[in-house]
Amino acid sequence: MAILCAASSSSSAVFAPAKCNPSFSPLSSKRSIAGLSFAPSKPVATAVGKRGFAVRCQKDLSVVPLDQRWMFEESEVDGPDIWNKTWYPKARDHVNTEKPWYIVDATDKILGRLASTIAIYIRGKNLATYTPSVDMGAFVIVVNAEKVAVSGKKRTQKLYRRHSGRPGGMKIETFDQLQQRIPERIIEHAVRGMLPKGRLGRALFNHLKVYKGPEHPHEAQKPMELPIRDKRIMKER
Amino acid sequence: MNKAKVLKLAKGFRGRAKNCIRIARERVEKALQYSYRDRRNKKRDMRSLWIQRINAGTRIHSVNYGNFMHGLMKENIQLNRKVLSELSMHEPHSFKALVDISRNAFPGNKNVVHAPRKVALPLSV
Repeated sequence: MAILCAASSSSSAVFAPAKCNPSFSPLSSKRSIAGLSFAPSKPVATAVGKRGFAVRCQKDLSVVPLDQRWMFEESEVDGPDIWNKTWYPKARDHVNTEKPWYIVDATDKILGRLASTIAIYIRGKNLATYTPSVDMGAFVIVVNAEKVAVSGKKRTQKLYRRHSGRPGGMKIETFDQLQQRIPERIIEHAVRGMLPKGRLGRALFNHLKVYKGPEHPHEAQKPMELPIRDKRIMKER
Repeated sequence: MNKAKVLKLAKGFRGRAKNCIRIARERVEKALQYSYRDRRNKKRDMRSLWIQRINAGTRIHSVNYGNFMHGLMKENIQLNRKVLSELSMHEPHSFKALVDISRNAFPGNKNVVHAPRKVALPLSV
């Protein structure tokens, strides 16, 4: 399997033509080091759920036993081709029980910026293994939802509308009124608008958990802090 | 004769479109048009997917896609986006080496102006 990594890495090094010599050698040396460093480790099952690197070595199909070789085509004899076929996740790459859980405190954070970051993590766009047709994202818990902030005069001027379907059935309330009534709905509304609309989007929306106070019932999932890179997310005082 | 061919192509369609020749013929024509168009669209979609994956992979290292590709172009690294996206998924350490090469070649925008903020930032990565 390490041999396969080295072999595949050498085959991909062929893509870079001979012209880029200055950058060629450190690259191939780094990659061979990477290939060798994988040798002692056992084939790691897809660690997609973990943040950061998702290392996925070839599993034990790398060398096909002689008596089964007739089942595979010529090109597949050494294992599946990961360099010419774009990777698509298998079912075991997006099991819900292995996805990470994040927690974020909404106190004094600007609503839209917070919702944008949450939607990115729920959809999985922060992962290198992002696939638009598959739910690869994480779960996000939002606590202290009633303390979320908006800038300007939005607190009294932003309107939330809903319609019951009957004529004259439009109900309008301001941000402030909705925050008094059902504060979780504000963040849910914001995040739902930023997730894709469709069957997958509705399934993704269920990965958002919003709570009113500082308590949440998901301690068993050991959520970690949601890393926020937005520099303007805190409300200016 | 042609009916049999059309109905063979209509397998898996919804409702009467898989059984009744009049409806199936229309749906099969449309399906063939879509497949003609989408053989060309597939190339675009795949490239877009590779770019999104590379973007995600480089942002883990605080570099965005545009600056990363600019740095690679400067160093004359001609790896294509397909291979770069597979590297970012399967060979993360090698990909980090590429990101470092790109960052040395093009350090990114130093002229970014951030809004003045008066509150200290709690948890930004």
